[in-house]
Amino acid sequence: MSEQKISVAASPAVPAAAPKHRDPLALVVRFQSLIGLVVVAIGGIIFSPRRHGQILFLDPDNIANIVRAVSETGIIAIGMTFVIITAGIDLSVGAVLGLSSVVTASMMISGGFGLIPTILAVLIMGIVFGAIQGTISTRFRLEPFIVTLAGLQAARGLALVVSGNQYINISYGDGPGLAPPVFAILGERLFNNTVPVATIVFIVFAAIATIVLNTTRFGRYVFAVGGNERAARISGVPVSTVKISVYAITGFASALAGIVHAGQFNFGSANDGMGYELTAIAAVVIGGTSLFGGAGSMVGTVAGTIMLGALANILQLNNITPAMQLLATAAIIVLAAVLQSLVRRREGLGR
Amino acid sequence: MKTTRQGTRNTLHAVLLAGAGLCIAGAAQAADPMVKACAKDGQFIIGFSQANNAEPYRQHVNDELTAAAKAVPGFTLQIADGAGNVNTQTSQVDNFITQKVDLLLISPFEAAPLTPAVKRAMDAGIPVIELDRKTVGDPGKDYTAFIGGDNYKIALEAGKYTAKTLLPDGGEAAVLEGLPSSTPAVERLNGFKDGVKGNAKIQVVAEQAADWVPDKAQTAFAAMLQAHPDIKVLYASNDMMAAGALLAAKGAGKDVKIIGTDGLPGPAGGIEAVAKGDWAATFTYPTGAKEAIEMSKKILLDCSTSVEPTVTVETTAITAENAKQLMGK
Repeated sequence: MSEQKISVAASPAVPAAAPKHRDPLALVVRFQSLIGLVVVAIGGIIFSPRRHGQILFLDPDNIANIVRAVSETGIIAIGMTFVIITAGIDLSVGAVLGLSSVVTASMMISGGFGLIPTILAVLIMGIVFGAIQGTISTRFRLEPFIVTLAGLQAARGLALVVSGNQYINISYGDGPGLAPPVFAILGERLFNNTVPVATIVFIVFAAIATIVLNTTRFGRYVFAVGGNERAARISGVPVSTVKISVYAITGFASALAGIVHAGQFNFGSANDGMGYELTAIAAVVIGGTSLFGGAGSMVGTVAGTIMLGALANILQLNNITPAMQLLATAAIIVLAAVLQSLVRRREGLGR
Repeated sequence: MKTTRQGTRNTLHAVLLAGAGLCIAGAAQAADPMVKACAKDGQFIIGFSQANNAEPYRQHVNDELTAAAKAVPGFTLQIADGAGNVNTQTSQVDNFITQKVDLLLISPFEAAPLTPAVKRAMDAGIPVIELDRKTVGDPGKDYTAFIGGDNYKIALEAGKYTAKTLLPDGGEAAVLEGLPSSTPAVERLNGFKDGVKGNAKIQVVAEQAADWVPDKAQTAFAAMLQAHPDIKVLYASNDMMAAGALLAAKGAGKDVKIIGTDGLPGPAGGIEAVAKGDWAATFTYPTGAKEAIEMSKKILLDCSTSVEPTVTVETTAITAENAKQLMGK
């Protein structure tokens, strides 16, 4: 790996090692979603309805609700961050979530499989599904947009086949046709009924992904492939393997989100997760990851995800129409993208 | 006085619940008003968690509910759109609980996934009236009440109407189903098929899913007419698909008797299509909005100690005879 590439790779990871000439705008953009989250939170506190002087927005139940609601799209957005840093895209994630929820439910209910075999099988299925998409895309030099668009259709189709066009309800208990009761924990809250289990899965996955992206050789390769694929290839980065791996990661993330979905809502449905791909992409972009690849941050994605959830929450608490929520999200996406483009232009001039 | 009342309640609940343990619990609760803060001149917030605003039928429900709630001075209605996503809807119900709304109305997008959220509302002391779709459990116990139509019965009526009035001499019929695997789609499909069984000369030659939307219905029905040019009656599981099917029939130059479901008002709705003679009939799927607000009045304003746990709102057959007259309503 060349000197230059390491600096490209390391700069988003270790703030201390950032180049000295960082301009303030670039700093703002790097932390844009964190700043956004803080702004939304302050707005939430100011505009929150109050009862007996208590701020409803800050009510522990309300916070738990916000972070629970974003867990599934958050898990997917984390996987998506890897893909987008390589300048790719994965549109199949929502459909794979639906497929995974269906497979989880049917393996436990009609298949009679235990908890561990089911979860392992579903996760492996997600990885394989993603890896196949990555392989097709790299092997035949196809745009990931097209390949994963096909993947979306394939996953929905498979989900309908597996489910036999039915919603599969998960009932708990011992014996055939029932799921192990411990699986229901995904819909509960731990630590004195405060922290939703779905959120714990999200945060743990985010922590692992942050470490992988920022401290491992694989993480540096991901940045390198997205920054300049040809340069990466010349300097010996296994580009194809890295690309296939990131789609395997989104497949894994979607499967994980599908398991969390099935556990939270006690069912599997082929139609679920519709539109999640776009929410996840929005969270990643707001989080400061460039759709052109080569730059991005996992913390940004997590903050972007939570920000969108907090925004939806405060708007509903104030009974503001869903239309406004869509308009607000649209404005935020445009703002995030414009900021990024400004920075890119400045850096382009600097180089 | 109290003992007599309790005695009566006991008998009532024994009949309703058929469980000794439950009936005592029921009686103990029933002696108090369902909502402690109830008052004739109080101000109340009612939260309505709608499954998906994007469906025209659900927008119609929102309109009727808004109108009915406006007529009650003390009521403020807040509507949250679940956008066809159980995750979003769950978080919205949780938000209503955080807000401590006085009463929760809900049309759950799907039953099992919304059940825990409804339980949380009930545990927080908020009465829950389920509209149109149920969660898992029993009305009167796991949630306060259910108000809605019966999809199976409505489609059964449509089937019987086909068997007796539209095709007494038999012939080929076809069905456009809603979103596969959704509960109302399955119930309406089965209801219609059971309804036409009364006439052995009727054959259902084709059934296709068109996901409740008109464009898919147009494509699907055009294909059906290619394969079966003698189709005489089409049952569409909602008005939107019936509208799409009409375009297909016109395109193929066929005169097919079309039946819709929902009976929506307005220029794009089924009532007008029947009045114009485009369709043979549509069967209303009552929203239950008026009934829901009436029940909310009983609970919040009249301090009722109990309400009817299940209210089934009957369907109305809209045919050439009554369509014009119902149009203005």
